[in-house]
Amino acid sequence: MKLEVHGVGKDYRIPVIDSVSFAVDAGEFLCLLGPNGCGKTTLLRIIGGLEPATRGSVTLDGRAVVFEQRHDRRVGVVFQEDRLLPWLTLRDNVSLVLAPLGRPAAERVATADRYLGLVGLAGFEDYYPGRVSGGMRQRAAIARALAIEPDLLLMDEPFGALDAQNRRIMQHEVRRIWRETGRTIVFVTHAIEEAVAIGTTLVMLTARPARVREAIRNDGRAARGALIDDLNTMIMEEVERQQGGASLPG
Amino acid sequence: MRGWVTWLHLPTLGVAVVLVAVWWWLSLRYGAYVLPSPVNVLAGLGDVIRSGEIWRHSGASLGRIAVGFGGAVVVAVAMGLVAFVSPVARGVVHDAVAVLNSTSVFVWIVISIIWFGLSNWAPIFTTFMITLPVVAANLVEGVASVDRRLLEMGDVYRLSGRQQFTAIVVPSTLPYLVAGMKVGFGLALKVSVVAEIFGVTSGIGYVMNYSREILATQMVFVWALVMIAVMTVTDKLVFDTLSRRLTRWR
Repeated sequence: MKLEVHGVGKDYRIPVIDSVSFAVDAGEFLCLLGPNGCGKTTLLRIIGGLEPATRGSVTLDGRAVVFEQRHDRRVGVVFQEDRLLPWLTLRDNVSLVLAPLGRPAAERVATADRYLGLVGLAGFEDYYPGRVSGGMRQRAAIARALAIEPDLLLMDEPFGALDAQNRRIMQHEVRRIWRETGRTIVFVTHAIEEAVAIGTTLVMLTARPARVREAIRNDGRAARGALIDDLNTMIMEEVERQQGGASLPG
Repeated sequence: MRGWVTWLHLPTLGVAVVLVAVWWWLSLRYGAYVLPSPVNVLAGLGDVIRSGEIWRHSGASLGRIAVGFGGAVVVAVAMGLVAFVSPVARGVVHDAVAVLNSTSVFVWIVISIIWFGLSNWAPIFTTFMITLPVVAANLVEGVASVDRRLLEMGDVYRLSGRQQFTAIVVPSTLPYLVAGMKVGFGLALKVSVVAEIFGVTSGIGYVMNYSREILATQMVFVWALVMIAVMTVTDKLVFDTLSRRLTRWR
């Protein structure tokens, strides 16, 4: 699934996103980077059809994504929080989102178990979210997003609430899952090391109102350390530029 | 044995023993008309159990509560549904609940006697009007506290309105309904007993008032004990079981 973002902009009372354009080829792993509060989450929500854009358009394989209008493309979203239903087991949480796809119950359970296994939760299918760790809940949320076999997977700082160790493990896992499933992924983060470790394309946004500052292929040819240094310099410049203005949540 | 000891909570038991001793001493001082002795009251309790009067009168009271309070729960659920669907209706329900909540029991007793005469419907109507705002207030609060982020998750995964209602809204709201019903039932018992003083010839309130008129003060105490027993047993058997089952996932 090819994702194209054409001159998307968003104003609340002030312009948050000026104009952002980029394209993601099928099977790519794109990381959206930028200083805190630059509109990364807003942009992701516009791409997912959860919020209307003030300007511009988003297309999936040439077809427009419109806010509050259902389309037949499957988009999985992993939010900053796990957003699991606490009264359902992990298995039921995953199989719930398969119900609208019209699968029979037995097949839903089998699919849910398969994807829970893929994210390393085999044996925990019958656990309630409140009984497992934050990292495991976020894995279950990823399993849920993958289970609908999405054409596009959107992830909004999914590891923000995890400690450093779990974060590294999850980055590794997501990279593995991406290789095994070949999904197109857009991954929002403000952690540069994270983006360089997992993304195939890195899009750096400017401070608010956001534009694309730089789009970088991360195919392993550029020295990783130098790339991280460059990106750190860019983000510091953007943070400096933003200082003085009030901060909006990203 | 051990179970009973923990259930009764020893310090509470100690306080109860002291209070009964004080009660006994006072009853010796002031005489049986003002304050019957604990032994008298126990004997009276034995009498009403043997004669079956206990079942007749508590049954009559519980029957009226079932209709009045049951009706209040049904109407409150309807109000909760309307409040969920429309924010405008939520405001109206909220204000209506505030008005009903600040109306005295006596107002409804007098009005219901005017409207329904000296009949079963007077205590039923009074119970209905007093418990309705309690249950409705809880439900409206429950409906308002449904996590919008979970509903957005439901939108992302294309859950239908019905699926979102049964998987997200109902489980979020049920604990509030049970809490409201628990408080409402306690109130129903207290209120219906007062309303039974007027115009009916059965029920705990009627028989208590009758005992006073024939100067059988010990029977007033007996029926007070019966009322406490009915309240405690219902609370433990019905509402504790219900809330335990509802929060199994915690």
